[in-house]
Amino acid sequence: MSQFNSGFTLFLSLIVEAIPFLLLGVLVSSVLLLFVNEQRLIALMPKNPFLGALAGSLLGFLFPVCECGNVPVARRLLLQGVSVPVAIGFLLAAPTINPVVIWATWTAFRDQPEIVVLRVVFSLIISTTIACIFSIQKDMRPFLQPALSRWMPDVMVQPSLSDTPALLQTGTFLLGQPGQPIAFDAVAAAAVNRPRPKPNIPWKDRLPLLLENMVQELRELGGILVLGSLLAAIIQVAVPREWVLSIGQGPVTSVVAMLILGGVISICSTVDSFFALSFATTFTSGAILAFLVFGPMFDLKSLGLLLTIFRPRAMIYLVVLIVQLTLILTLFMNLHIS
Amino acid sequence: MNSTSSMPRLRWSKLSEWMHTFALGLWGALFLYYWRSGKLGLLIHPNYFGLSIGAGFVLLAISSFNIIRMAKQQQRQTDSREQHQTLLPPLFMSGILLFAAVVGFLIAPKPFVSDTAIQRGLQDSAIVTRVRPQSFRVNRSSESRSLIDWIRTLDVYPEPDAYAGQKVSVDGFVVYTNNLPQGYLTLTRFVITCCAADVYPVGMPVKFTQPKSEVPADGWFKVQGKMMTETLNGKRQAVIQANTIEPIPEPKNPYAY
Repeated sequence: MSQFNSGFTLFLSLIVEAIPFLLLGVLVSSVLLLFVNEQRLIALMPKNPFLGALAGSLLGFLFPVCECGNVPVARRLLLQGVSVPVAIGFLLAAPTINPVVIWATWTAFRDQPEIVVLRVVFSLIISTTIACIFSIQKDMRPFLQPALSRWMPDVMVQPSLSDTPALLQTGTFLLGQPGQPIAFDAVAAAAVNRPRPKPNIPWKDRLPLLLENMVQELRELGGILVLGSLLAAIIQVAVPREWVLSIGQGPVTSVVAMLILGGVISICSTVDSFFALSFATTFTSGAILAFLVFGPMFDLKSLGLLLTIFRPRAMIYLVVLIVQLTLILTLFMNLHIS
Repeated sequence: MNSTSSMPRLRWSKLSEWMHTFALGLWGALFLYYWRSGKLGLLIHPNYFGLSIGAGFVLLAISSFNIIRMAKQQQRQTDSREQHQTLLPPLFMSGILLFAAVVGFLIAPKPFVSDTAIQRGLQDSAIVTRVRPQSFRVNRSSESRSLIDWIRTLDVYPEPDAYAGQKVSVDGFVVYTNNLPQGYLTLTRFVITCCAADVYPVGMPVKFTQPKSEVPADGWFKVQGKMMTETLNGKRQAVIQANTIEPIPEPKNPYAY
């Protein structure tokens, strides 16, 4: 019975803490949809994948959202046709690299400024690297949830005809024009999927639309947040924290323990530094950093939210990459620096 | 699509829309209810009350406006606006939101008890010293120190002999751990930094002579006595020698900050 009670209290506390941030994220997403000119937004973003990844990672300064709020915003960015490295960079880095979180980390770790600096630097390295890796995949749609990719503008896919001679291809072609024959299907697809210019909605109609969009996103993400918090609460009750902490306090084991804790405990990135502070005396700096870097990028509570963007396979790639990079960076720090 | 199959679907989506609008409102009301009934303190640190209370009001507002909007739309025939991208069926999502909010109203959150304290590492002596002093007041009389103050003080200067003989008066709940012998209990408080997910226990060993039945686990007590040095589990540490142990009502907000 006491297990049930503490699980239930945990579950409610995760929700009470996360909903305000989810609301903020949904609001930013809806404002992006209705009040921001997407063409201008895309034009602002660098075309180069590396610069795009970097720019996306730094976008958090504009939209300070934590790990529940970044999902609706990243999803909206993808739907608005922003390039993949920008969106993924934003998704991974925004919960850490934003003024609120940096300030909170500074407040908690004032006497260990290297933690504050390295948290930002490591997050930036990881998000930029992963965003660059994902940018190699030119057409992201097989990675994304079908419900999402259906609404994505078709700006990044160019039908390539050059590989096979035209005579060997099947389909309907438009002839009689200079150059290669043009596949009719491609033209039709391009016409259907061309990003539609946003109709000029009068301002007074935008507010009801904003409300409608917020309600729609809240239904989906709110429900998923409830499921994610439930999962996190069940696991926290089932797996004693003592057990996680007893994995060890050596340079390697402490990092592993804190990675697991960061993934399980699912607290919001704006406050996790205060929590990590309470471990600062018993765990290595690398382990504290692993918690602070990994937790905001992935945890049980946000698992469901991430699955609203990615298909399971792509999400596994993403999580494995995050874990590996966090491990490499923090182990390097434990073994060579401190 | 023929009209016979699209009609029920339309009705389902209408039902789902009403359901989740209602659920959002219910969540808003739940947040405000926790706030008014003092239960919010069980879930999060007072620093973040503003966020949750604000979210409660915003959710209620969103829900009310959406009800007005839907009622207006009821007169017009439904415009099948482009369906939103969703992972799970909308009705299912609305159902979960609604169900969780109703359960939140029906079952009150309860403070954590000794099981959780042990599960979260009360026995691990390394964990007890995790708190850092937020403020350090030397010339405070020893009796006015709370349990947390004592632990912070010991953390800064751990030599137990330095405190021997000082008077102690502290509140907390009782936990019996396996690593202490008969006649000892751990007087415990949970410390919260943000939300209940991150609370961790801190405690001090208390040596008592009363029969154990008068000091049940999970009960809240005020312990008065004095400090002394003992070797428990091969470790020299400060232990409270209890003169009196009197039961106190469980505080409305059981966490320490």
